[in-house]
Amino acid sequence: MGSLIFYLRKLIKIFRSEVLVLPSRVAVMLFFLFIILFPIIFPDPYYYRVIVLASIFAILAASWDLLSGFTGQMNFGHALFFGVGAYTSAMLNLNLKIPPIASIPLGAVAAVMAGLIIGIPCLRLRGTYLALTTLSFPIILVGMIFAFPGFTGGELGVSGLSRLADSYIGNYYIVTITMLVLVTVMWKITDSNIGIILHAVREDEIAVRTSGVNTTRYKLLAFSLSGFFAGISGGLYAHYMRVAGPSTLEVNTSFLVVIYAIFGGIATIYGPVGAVFVLIPLLEFLRFLEHVRIPDQILSIMPDLLGKFLVKFVEILPNTRMFIFAFFILMILLFMPDGLLPWLRDKVETQCPRCKVRNISRRQTCRICTADLH
Amino acid sequence: MSLNFLEVKDLDKGFGGLKAINNASFNVRRDEIVGLIGPNGAGKTTLLRMILGILKSDSGTIHFKGKKINGKKTWDIINLGIAGTFQNMRPFRHLPIIANVMVACLCPRAMKRGEWVKRIEAKAMDALEFAGISDMAREKASTLSQGDLKRLEVARAVATEPELLLLDEPFGGLSPAETDLMANSIKRLHKGGRFGRLHSEGPAMIIVEHKLKQLMKIVDRIIVLNYGEIIADGAPEEVAKNKKVIESYLGKGDK
Repeated sequence: MGSLIFYLRKLIKIFRSEVLVLPSRVAVMLFFLFIILFPIIFPDPYYYRVIVLASIFAILAASWDLLSGFTGQMNFGHALFFGVGAYTSAMLNLNLKIPPIASIPLGAVAAVMAGLIIGIPCLRLRGTYLALTTLSFPIILVGMIFAFPGFTGGELGVSGLSRLADSYIGNYYIVTITMLVLVTVMWKITDSNIGIILHAVREDEIAVRTSGVNTTRYKLLAFSLSGFFAGISGGLYAHYMRVAGPSTLEVNTSFLVVIYAIFGGIATIYGPVGAVFVLIPLLEFLRFLEHVRIPDQILSIMPDLLGKFLVKFVEILPNTRMFIFAFFILMILLFMPDGLLPWLRDKVETQCPRCKVRNISRRQTCRICTADLH
Repeated sequence: MSLNFLEVKDLDKGFGGLKAINNASFNVRRDEIVGLIGPNGAGKTTLLRMILGILKSDSGTIHFKGKKINGKKTWDIINLGIAGTFQNMRPFRHLPIIANVMVACLCPRAMKRGEWVKRIEAKAMDALEFAGISDMAREKASTLSQGDLKRLEVARAVATEPELLLLDEPFGGLSPAETDLMANSIKRLHKGGRFGRLHSEGPAMIIVEHKLKQLMKIVDRIIVLNYGEIIADGAPEEVAKNKKVIESYLGKGDK
């Protein structure tokens, strides 16, 4: 009993000295708690759906960041991995009756294959050329899907898949826990020695080669890792929506991912995840514009012309949803060029000039080396 | 074997109409420091880049330890035991200085030869200490001055534990005092041994340099290039008296 209390105290001490000292770590902890406790706070299937879709796109955005943010291989066709993952797991599930627990990883493996197939010819390309080439691959695949409607369902896609779980809560937890685990894994990868090499490849590839590192191998590794995670998110999407359609391969999807990643802060992993959890709920929140009505009492006391104008204005209001969304993103990028989350992080934390450890900006001295912070 | 450590034979390289390297042949022994000098545009950097495999030669062969290395990928050549620095420094500017060196420590050669060394960061730190910039290890590489970038290049090359080191203007941008320091550390490196966790093979070296005075002090042999051709090859004193060399550097006198 005594030893139990001893270890418990030690654990609390570690928790206080490692987690509670930095706002960013507290934020990550709160995010985890929020995701896990969400069904208790808001027991509403509509809210579940928002968070589940956000989780799926968080995996996708983080996987784009792993490839393009870290390695600098601008991939504007990330929807390819998403679509291949979705279609493969959908077809395996529908035709061979493979349950989601196996079909999603198999879909991810197919996405890895797609990543290698694209990665090998694209290795020699850089910058805009790579971006344009990768952009074309999902479009080609959409064309192929329309060309074989008997097999792929054409424009309607593959529908009638089995559910992830039978209940809303089950769906919610399967997707969100997968998201938390995969994002942590991705963050860990970028935090390791592999992450350093990927980052170095982005800076100067020739210099990495003259350091004796096989850059081709690492770039392909980045392509396949990113494809794997994006494929899982595609499989989750297909099984959650119970349909895998050509919309998963749209150019729109590719660019949304890029927008999420740049909005949240490139080459950070946590940035894109945070961005998705800001932007998707925002987009859903803006749906309230559809329900805006002007009460008749107000209209009756208004001049005729102004009243007509107001009615017209309210009518077009729902269509401004995407406009407001885009305006919000542009403003954020104008004032926070590094992205939202790194900006916030720099506001609340300062780096010690001596030992480079991050501290809460309230502190006067560094928590490790006691050097003056300001 | 000692004669065939690095063997360059009939090497040719042209950029369009310009012949950068013309029929160059020379050998480097295992225990030598060779200075490579010549006027600007003589092809010194091109020669080093071809040995490193960044540029492909048009014809001719390069043998390292009896193996043909031209046509191989750069990383394979590095892992055979050659390392090089760049004349215009190419650090990873957004990474901390220590991470710059850790990339080199992560190459298969350094990992395999790590013996009991498993801590890559500690080893990178020792390479920085050898180059003399360990106090700034956590700073971003973009904050370094020209001279310190040179040292970072050297640290990065040394971290792969090479047997043949190609230094492209290691004294460029250094003050006289710093030049002496760098010359000393190059000599120390050539003797071999351990620098903390870092192991030095006592590499043979090819040094491209314009500061001839300092270069003469550390090299055993000098090769002079002019317009892609080797015009002299011998001990420093001989080369310094060679008429062709003086002509190529100072131009022809009237009489």
